[in-house]
Amino acid sequence: MTEYVPKNPGSVTRYILVESPTLTPAELAIRAYEISEGAMIKETCFGLLINGAEDVVDRLIEKLRAVDPDHIFTKDRGFVPGDPRRCRANLGGARPGFHGIEFETTVLPYVSHGLFELRARDAGGVPAPESTAESKKLDIYTLKKLIEAQEP
Amino acid sequence: MTSPVRIAQLSCGPEYSGVQQEINEAAKSVNGEIFFPDIALKDIIKNFEEFGLEVRSPDLKLAIARAKALVEGRVDADAIFIATCFRCAEAAIVRNELRRYIRNNSRLPVVSYSFTERTTAGTLLTRMEALTTIARRRALLAREAQQGLTLGVDSGSSTTKAVVMKDNRIIGTGWQPTTEVLGSARDVVAHALAEAGVKRDEIEAVGTTGYGRFLVGRDISADLIQEELTVNSKGAVYLADRQHGPATVIDIGGMDNKAISVQDGIPGSFTMGGICAGASGRFLEMTAKRLGVDITELGPLAMKGSGNRVPMNSYCIVFGTQSLVNALAAGSTREDVAAAACHSVAEQVFEQQLQEVDIKEPVIMVGGTSLIEGLVHAMGELLQVKVVVPRHSQYIGAVGSALLASGFVKEG
Amino acid sequence: MAKIFIYPATSLILSDLVARYGHTPLSSATAIRERIQTAGIESVPLQITPEEPKKGLKWAAVEVPSGVRGRMALYGPMIEACDAAIVISEADLAFGCMGCARTNELIKYLVREKKVPRLDLNYPKSEEEGVRFVAAIKRFLAEQGGGK
Repeated sequence: MTEYVPKNPGSVTRYILVESPTLTPAELAIRAYEISEGAMIKETCFGLLINGAEDVVDRLIEKLRAVDPDHIFTKDRGFVPGDPRRCRANLGGARPGFHGIEFETTVLPYVSHGLFELRARDAGGVPAPESTAESKKLDIYTLKKLIEAQEP
Repeated sequence: MTSPVRIAQLSCGPEYSGVQQEINEAAKSVNGEIFFPDIALKDIIKNFEEFGLEVRSPDLKLAIARAKALVEGRVDADAIFIATCFRCAEAAIVRNELRRYIRNNSRLPVVSYSFTERTTAGTLLTRMEALTTIARRRALLAREAQQGLTLGVDSGSSTTKAVVMKDNRIIGTGWQPTTEVLGSARDVVAHALAEAGVKRDEIEAVGTTGYGRFLVGRDISADLIQEELTVNSKGAVYLADRQHGPATVIDIGGMDNKAISVQDGIPGSFTMGGICAGASGRFLEMTAKRLGVDITELGPLAMKGSGNRVPMNSYCIVFGTQSLVNALAAGSTREDVAAAACHSVAEQVFEQQLQEVDIKEPVIMVGGTSLIEGLVHAMGELLQVKVVVPRHSQYIGAVGSALLASGFVKEG
Repeated sequence: MAKIFIYPATSLILSDLVARYGHTPLSSATAIRERIQTAGIESVPLQITPEEPKKGLKWAAVEVPSGVRGRMALYGPMIEACDAAIVISEADLAFGCMGCARTNELIKYLVREKKVPRLDLNYPKSEEEGVRFVAAIKRFLAEQGGGK
């Protein structure tokens, strides 16, 4: 059994994911370096990883988000950037969580659209999403209409 | 140093059970390296759907997709390790079907294991060692005849065995219960050498296997120190003269059991159980003791009785033995009790382990327990096949070691 | 500022929206960070040691697989701490921390049993659904008070 000594206690790491038609992760990185206040910034294929004291990271993210608020998303990460335990180079493949993000990325354009629309619209006036019930059965009256609509 | 054997891990749960580190360490100690096959999300979805097993756990979907990538050669690996949580039904189905799928569609050696949070690197070591041996040493395992003058020692948990072989024949043997590991090994070696009429320094190569293989191997300067899964399957097909084609090897040991599916003398998939003493030779030893007979008499005694007439409420070594004691008190015959004990062990091995390997004939039983006729009979009845017990089957590990060690005999 | 349990707990989308509207998302990452930043026995990769499945016994009995109990050691305390929850029902492709269907069933049930305000949703599949999705979350979070 080996003793474990954590390397960056007290710091936080957050992902910044850019899913934008007009802004690349590299452009956002340049902006981030300018205002980093000592936070560690790592560029990745999907955006940035930022590590540092929580208040510094929070301020930085707020400023970066302002660049393109509807297309920049953030999430916490347990590991610091480049941690060998989660690095693709050491595992042979992506950590499983990567595929989860990969999936959610396909949904992001709809969320971005929602965020954009709701700048001008009041959320209160938007109808609720459809029920999450798994299968919606055809009601009997509609079915009857469909049957009657068929040519004999 | 040779480059590590690349072992692809297909799994659900080890990171969350706190055992991933143990898996990594076990692999590392036999110069293996665990990795996770890399595939894109669209391939995960596509492969999972093509495979057609509709499980719900995302990590199992990922395991299925990764298995497909390995079998189809989109990701390179030398061996595959499948690991899922013990007691998870969904994962057990996936584990079995993936093992079968890989076995039928590729030449990659595979071992599957269901872990608990108590699983340690030590528990996994023998399995990992077998996996890397099969991947790395196919040439060694291809040997079909013993050459020169070699010695094999099997330092098992219950007994220690040794054989001396010369020109493809066994010329000396030694056997005794394991007490002090090194002492027992030295004694059986001395006995085997004396019986063979040769001196230690005449021996051209030495192989060791079994629990004490490392300790004994260092003590007697072995050329080959090898786990018992590959050694025993090699020894079994050699002794039974079934070196070509498929075979199934069953070895019910003193502490753990092995069920190995073999093709041309090389293990393809195997299981190794060791959680319950009720499924081991130890249970039969306890029964023999209670019946007041020597373990060698238990088999013939069982053949005269019928296990059906004795109610067994448990398979446990404690409570199962108690059932047998109760049966004796209630007037059951010793023959019936002996038969019931044999049936109980056979049934447990059948239920817990033989379900995880594909039974292909011939079924070869080896190890000390294969001399217990009643046990072999019970296993044959459960499997509905005629079980083969080759001559010298109790020396299986020692014979396999002596055979494989001849790969180290210097030519000329 | 309310503590919002998100399901899947690995969700980028939910984590982002909850934080964006001024609340605290309770996510896998924060639970893993806690372990990564605590000294103890080394256990790669997540610093989940065999002790975690034992802690998980609080939520699932010993006959429940160790992977479920280990994961519950992450999620159990979060469910206990949460003020409200947002649940995406059909999160079939959340791997890793959310990779076990049995754990996920238990998590959803425990959230339900806790009887805190809960919003159930599906992932949006069109732009219009995207608007409804974001609006529903925004309204729900505003109802929890203290946000921005």
